[in-house]
Amino acid sequence: MRPPSAESVADFLRRMRVGIEDGLDPLTAAQRAATELPRTVRRALDRLSRRLQGEYYEDEWGFDEEFAEAVYPLFEFLYDVWWRVEVDDVRNVPSHGRALLVSNHAGSLFPFDASMILGAIMKEHPLPRWARFLVLDWAFVLPFISTFMKRVGGVPASTHNAARLLDQNELVMVFPEGAKGTGKQFSDRYRLQRFGRGGFVEVALRTGAPIVPVAVVGSEEIYPKLADARPLARLIGAPFAPVTPTFPWLGPLGLIPLPSKWRIAFCDPIDLSEHGPDAAADRRLLFDISEQVRETIQARLYESLVKRGSAFM
Amino acid sequence: MSGRRVVITGVASQWGAELARRLERDPSIEYLAGIDDAPPAVELERTDFIEADIRSPLLSRLLPGTGAETIVHCGIRWFPEPGKPSRVLHDVNVIGTLQLLAACERTETLRSLVVRGSAAIYGCEGPAPCFFTEEMARRLPLRTRFQRDASELEAYIDNFARRHAEIVCCILRYQPEIGPGLDSPLVRYLSLPVVPTQLGFDPRLQLVHVEDAAGALEAATRNPARGPVNVAPSGAISLSRILRLARRPFVPIPHPVFGPALERLGRRLGAGPLYGDGVRLLRYGRGVDNGRLRSDIGYEPRFDAVGAVRDFASATGSRRIGPSLHPGDLAGRLAGFGR
Repeated sequence: MRPPSAESVADFLRRMRVGIEDGLDPLTAAQRAATELPRTVRRALDRLSRRLQGEYYEDEWGFDEEFAEAVYPLFEFLYDVWWRVEVDDVRNVPSHGRALLVSNHAGSLFPFDASMILGAIMKEHPLPRWARFLVLDWAFVLPFISTFMKRVGGVPASTHNAARLLDQNELVMVFPEGAKGTGKQFSDRYRLQRFGRGGFVEVALRTGAPIVPVAVVGSEEIYPKLADARPLARLIGAPFAPVTPTFPWLGPLGLIPLPSKWRIAFCDPIDLSEHGPDAAADRRLLFDISEQVRETIQARLYESLVKRGSAFM
Repeated sequence: MSGRRVVITGVASQWGAELARRLERDPSIEYLAGIDDAPPAVELERTDFIEADIRSPLLSRLLPGTGAETIVHCGIRWFPEPGKPSRVLHDVNVIGTLQLLAACERTETLRSLVVRGSAAIYGCEGPAPCFFTEEMARRLPLRTRFQRDASELEAYIDNFARRHAEIVCCILRYQPEIGPGLDSPLVRYLSLPVVPTQLGFDPRLQLVHVEDAAGALEAATRNPARGPVNVAPSGAISLSRILRLARRPFVPIPHPVFGPALERLGRRLGAGPLYGDGVRLLRYGRGVDNGRLRSDIGYEPRFDAVGAVRDFASATGSRRIGPSLHPGDLAGRLAGFGR
C-alpha cells in the first residue's frame, strides 16, 4: 500500500475540521471526512438536485443567472482566445441604475456582438453586471434559440420591453440598425445603416435613461457576407440568408466564425434627463438625438479601426 | 360598491358559483340572482336561480324584471363542457354575449357590467412584448377560433360601453387558472404522468391561482373600473420550471406533432386535448401586466406566478411509499453521501 500524499492528508484534516465545526464528535467527524465526496462534486450535485427540483431563480423575463453563468466559459473562450477583445473606456457604463447601451450591429450568420459587449462589462468593469439585450423578433419564433436567448437575458425587440426593463433599472442593450446592420454586404462593413425609427431615443427619453453609444470593431469580419440567398430566406421567414466564404460550403464547419481581432469602445454617456419624459413625443428631437448617437458611433468606429490595425493578426 | 342588486350569468360555472357564494355573505347586497341553463352544483342560500339559456332572446324579458344594478357575466367558456362539441363555444361566447348586451340595453337600472373575458385577445406569439398592457390588444394576428371569439365579444362590449357612458363596463382579461382541485384542460395537462412539451420551446406563463381568480372577480364586482383589466399574477414562470416544481417528468416532442400527440396521449390518459389557444400558449407563452388590477380595481393577488405553481404542486404532490426516485432527489442524496 502506498502512503497517502501530504495533499490528501491536508484535505482529510480540512474536512475533519469542517465536521468538528459542524458540532460532530472527533470520531464521527473523522469518519465523515474519510467517506464524503470531494466538495466540488458535492456542490455540483447539490446544484443539479436544486435545478431538477425547480428550486432556482429566474426573473419575470425568463433570465436565468445560473444558466448564463454556466454558458459563460464558452463565450469567455471566444472573448479571450478567439477574438482577443480589447476594451476602451468600460467605465462609461454606469455601475448601477438604468442605462441604454446603443451599438452598431454586425455578424451576418450569428451576431456575437451582444455577447461580447456583455463579456466586456462582466470582465473589465470594476462592478460587473448582466446587461439585457433586445433581440430580433424572428429569433423568438425558432425553437432552442428562443429559449437560449431568453435564459441569457434577451427579450424580443419592442419599445415596451425596453421601457419596462429600464423602469426596473436594468442595463439594456439595443442595436437600432437591426437586421439591416447584420445583413449588410462585407463591402459595406463599418458603415452604419439607418437607425430604425429612433424608437430607442423615445424609450430613453421616457424613462430618463442615459444613452451610452458603443462602437464594436471586429464583428464585421467573423462571417463576411458575400451574397444573399434570397429565396431561401423567404422560405424560412428569415430577414436574409447569408453566404460567406465558408458557409454553407463547409457545412457545419462553416458556422465557425473567423478569428478576427475585436475592439469594443464605450463612448461618453449622453444624458437626456434635461428634456424630460414629455419630449418623447417630439419627432424632430428624436431624429436629432438619434443622428447624434449614430455619428458618435460612426466616428468612434473609424478611430477604433485605426487603433486595431490589421483585422486578423 | 356600485350596486346592491347583482345578477350573475353563468352561475353554474365554477367562477359564477364561487362569486355567488362570496357575495351571499355580504349583507349590503340586498338581491342576488343567478342565470344559467343548469342549476349550480353547489348549494346557494339566497341566490335566486333563474333557469334560462343565455343564447335565447328570452333574456331580454327576464333581465329588466330583476332590477339588476350590477351584472356579472361569467358565461364565457374557455373549453366545452364534458361531452359537448367545441363548436358550441362560439355560440355560447359570442351569441350569448350579444343576447346579454341586448338585454342590458333594456335594463334601465343597470349601473355596471363586469365580464369575465380572456387574455387570449393578445394572441400568443414568439416576438410579442413580454408584458401586455391593456391598450395593446389586437396588435398581433389572432390565429385561433377562441382568440377571434375573445376579440369579437370585446368589440361588442366596447361598442355597448361607448353608447352607454353611464354604465361602467369592465372586461377582465384572465390568464389561465391553476389550483388544487381545479378541473381544466391545462391542469389536466400538467397532471399527466409524463407531460409532453414542445421541443426547444420553454414558454413564459402566468397562471392565476383559483383563489386570486375568484378574489379578482369579487373585487371587480364591488369596484369595477372602466375598460379592460388584466387578471394575472405578478411575474412569470417558465413551463420547464413549473413541471420541475410539480415533479412531473416531461418528454419534449417536435412542435408540429405536439397537438395531435397530446390529443392521442390525452385520450388514453384522461386528459383530453387543449382548447382555445392552448397549444400556442405552450409554445410561445404570454405575459400580461397586472398594474391596472392592483391600482384601479384595488386587488392585490395573493400568489405570484411562482407561488401559484408552488401551491398547486404542494397540493397535488404524489404520496408514495418508499424512497423517491425523482432524479433531483437522487442527486441530492448522492451529494450527501458519506455525511
